Amino acid sequence: MLGANAADPDKILRITFQAAETGFDPVRVSDYYSGTVIEAIFDPLLTYDYLARPAKLVPNTAAALPQISDGGRTYTLQVRPGIYFADDPVFKGARRELTALDYAYSIGRFLDPKSRSPYAFIFEGVAAIETPGRYTLVVRLKKPDYNFSHVLAFPLTGAVAREAIEHYGDDSPAHPVGSGPFRLKHYTRSSKIVLEANPGFRELVRDGRRLPMIGGVEISIMEETQSRWLAFQRGDTDMEYQLSEVAPTFMNADGTLKAEFARRGIKLQRSVDPEITYLYFNMQDKTVGGLGKEKIALRRAIAMAYKIDDEIRIIRKGQAVRAQYPIPPGVAGHDPDYRSSIAYHPRAANALLEKFGYRKGPDGYRRKPDGAPLVVRYSSTPAERDRQFDELMKRSLDAIGVRLEIHKERFPELIKLENECRLMMRGAAWIADYPDGDNFMQLLYGPNSGQSNNACYRSAEYDQRYEKSRLLPDGPERDRLYHEMTRLMEVQTVWLLLDSRYRNVLLQPRVKGFVKHPVLHAEWVYIDLDK
Amino acid sequence: MTSSFLVRRLWQFVPTLAGVVLLVFLLFNWVGGDPAYLLAGKIPNPERIAEIRRGLGVDQPYWVQLGIFAQQIATGDFGSSWSTNERVSQIFATRLGPSLTVLVPLLFISTVLSMGAAMLVAYWRGSLTDRAIMIGCTVAQSVSILVYILVFQYWLAYRLGWFPVQGWGGGLGENLLGYAALPVLVGVVVSLAPDIRLYRSFFLDEIGQDYVRTARAKGLAEGRVMWLHVMRNAAIPIATNVLMQLPGLLAGAFLIERFFSIPGIGREVIIAVERSDFPVIKAVTVYVAIATMVITLAADLLYRALDPRVQLK
Repeated sequence: MLGANAADPDKILRITFQAAETGFDPVRVSDYYSGTVIEAIFDPLLTYDYLARPAKLVPNTAAALPQISDGGRTYTLQVRPGIYFADDPVFKGARRELTALDYAYSIGRFLDPKSRSPYAFIFEGVAAIETPGRYTLVVRLKKPDYNFSHVLAFPLTGAVAREAIEHYGDDSPAHPVGSGPFRLKHYTRSSKIVLEANPGFRELVRDGRRLPMIGGVEISIMEETQSRWLAFQRGDTDMEYQLSEVAPTFMNADGTLKAEFARRGIKLQRSVDPEITYLYFNMQDKTVGGLGKEKIALRRAIAMAYKIDDEIRIIRKGQAVRAQYPIPPGVAGHDPDYRSSIAYHPRAANALLEKFGYRKGPDGYRRKPDGAPLVVRYSSTPAERDRQFDELMKRSLDAIGVRLEIHKERFPELIKLENECRLMMRGAAWIADYPDGDNFMQLLYGPNSGQSNNACYRSAEYDQRYEKSRLLPDGPERDRLYHEMTRLMEVQTVWLLLDSRYRNVLLQPRVKGFVKHPVLHAEWVYIDLDK
Repeated sequence: MTSSFLVRRLWQFVPTLAGVVLLVFLLFNWVGGDPAYLLAGKIPNPERIAEIRRGLGVDQPYWVQLGIFAQQIATGDFGSSWSTNERVSQIFATRLGPSLTVLVPLLFISTVLSMGAAMLVAYWRGSLTDRAIMIGCTVAQSVSILVYILVFQYWLAYRLGWFPVQGWGGGLGENLLGYAALPVLVGVVVSLAPDIRLYRSFFLDEIGQDYVRTARAKGLAEGRVMWLHVMRNAAIPIATNVLMQLPGLLAGAFLIERFFSIPGIGREVIIAVERSDFPVIKAVTVYVAIATMVITLAADLLYRALDPRVQLK
């Protein structure tokens, strides 16, 4: 028999964040840490099955998955009755039920320019939100989109209560009021976030046990790796995943946990993050851009000369895998059997440059086919990590006689120049906002130039396929289009796909039932602790 | 005399502060980059960038932004943090306590210890003890604070378990006796070497003075000469030095605060710099500048109070 609330107040999960949060108002944040806490406090309409891989959408506060009509333009959902927000003084002692109006209000806030939400872009396709009934929500889209359900599972779309937002005003980031499994108990900004199990949380059962099983989560902000590592080893924390810098200390070369830690009952869970890192060429640049054969040859040669294995081994300290496909593991549309046609082959790269007229001058560096000096400019920030990438790029291009110029700029200015299509070449990364291939394939869609399409790539062939893929649900037909788009990108060498990083989660013996989910980060609701 | 000195010094605050304001403003706009691109998220479009710039006020002409900055200093209201929306005044009100919990005992202990040690080595000037301590100080001073933090945290907290590895609690007693103990120890050890060297020179200056020779000639005991006469006179530059350290330490103790997870001002400054959070950066710079000027003035007045021979001009 299930009790009113199974959460044991004596079971407190202790974890760390390696950077300070910015607050817990869903429309105002874009950082991982704030988003994780928001995920634990607020309830989106949909979520993902904890164990299914690739990630599988399931209803959360919705009674069922949305009904999609009007050729993919209309999404209709029913909110389950009897779900309540956590008690808060703003409700003046009354129980406040969650309704469709709350979702309409919450999504509407993203669309309000005054919110200045960093995630407004994921709702740009929304034309109208309607609430024909207390529990019925209808979202009308500007264009057909069969993947919009993923947006409704995005943790930041959790419902907020209008009266709480209006009451707390500018201080609402410090007063989150949601209907999720946890609520904020104590908060010292940039230092400590203490969550407790929401006593009014709806009945959510897994394997016969009511969730959450733990009484709370204590999050300490620890910026320094040594502090996190020592705290974990002393047993001060239960779970640690931000230790890639000291990974060789606890991991063998084959990715297994060292025996000394295994003997202590410590567990290691290793998964690949749903992200890609890539090197992009600005397709509008005069030196490396364009679709002329000699330009494609130059990009191809650079891509074939870049030592990805060295990047993984030296810079990533072995904590990454080579990315072969633009859609990473754990994301719908990923193809584990796909192999990139761009391989490391400096000899072939040299031959290719010779063939297309990039001859070496007396100084050992190549010149353009018209005899002008060839200088490739690679942009990066002044950060120490980026200096390692600069050196690797220099070594790689020296091997094919291409002169490299390193362009150093502050991060905001790099983004600005990138949006104006004024950089020549830069490394970039993209982590899934939602676990669907569309989130990655849109990175090369022409109209997204100057936004997420940082290569400023415009190809009618690619765009047609992409637009067609938007009308299709996840499946073989869409996969075929994604394959064609990927091959096209490779043939024209717009990107060189680099790697996807590992996430190594260390767990103390007392942590039970933890499985790293590709996109959910507040798995705390599913785990248990030994006392 | 003192009042005209005060008026003149206070008047000098204005151009000094104006210089600081101008420098910070230029540096932020030159080095900091456009904050709208940091706040716009993963896919910024030009409209959103423009909206954010409008919201932050960075779309205004520079002279208007500078005017707003001056107004903020005059009213003491620096608005809200760009990244967290928290009032800047609230940030300082909540972070000052943890910083002072570490810095006050650190300064007190290190001053007492270094004064005692400096007086002893000055007294034994040229002896083997003096030379050994001076060589030790030179070596200790050449080691980075980062090394002290890493080693002390690893050995004293992790290996020996004498202190918490990191953390911060809710009560003053818990923090002072628990979480702040190791950070204070690190701070004391780091500051001892340079302070002993500096204070030794102050003591040596005093030991060579005529009044010391006279006191000895009168037959005063060495302890009385050193503790009463020499110490009192050497304490004047030492007090000035301690006071002058305070504003810099408040913002400069960021390494200690980061490694030991202390929610203090230094750590907040680093977070603000990482996020290009100009309201916080502006406030810190102005507060540190004002504190430095006020403390310098206070030190001059203290000098005068401790030594009536000092003329304030």
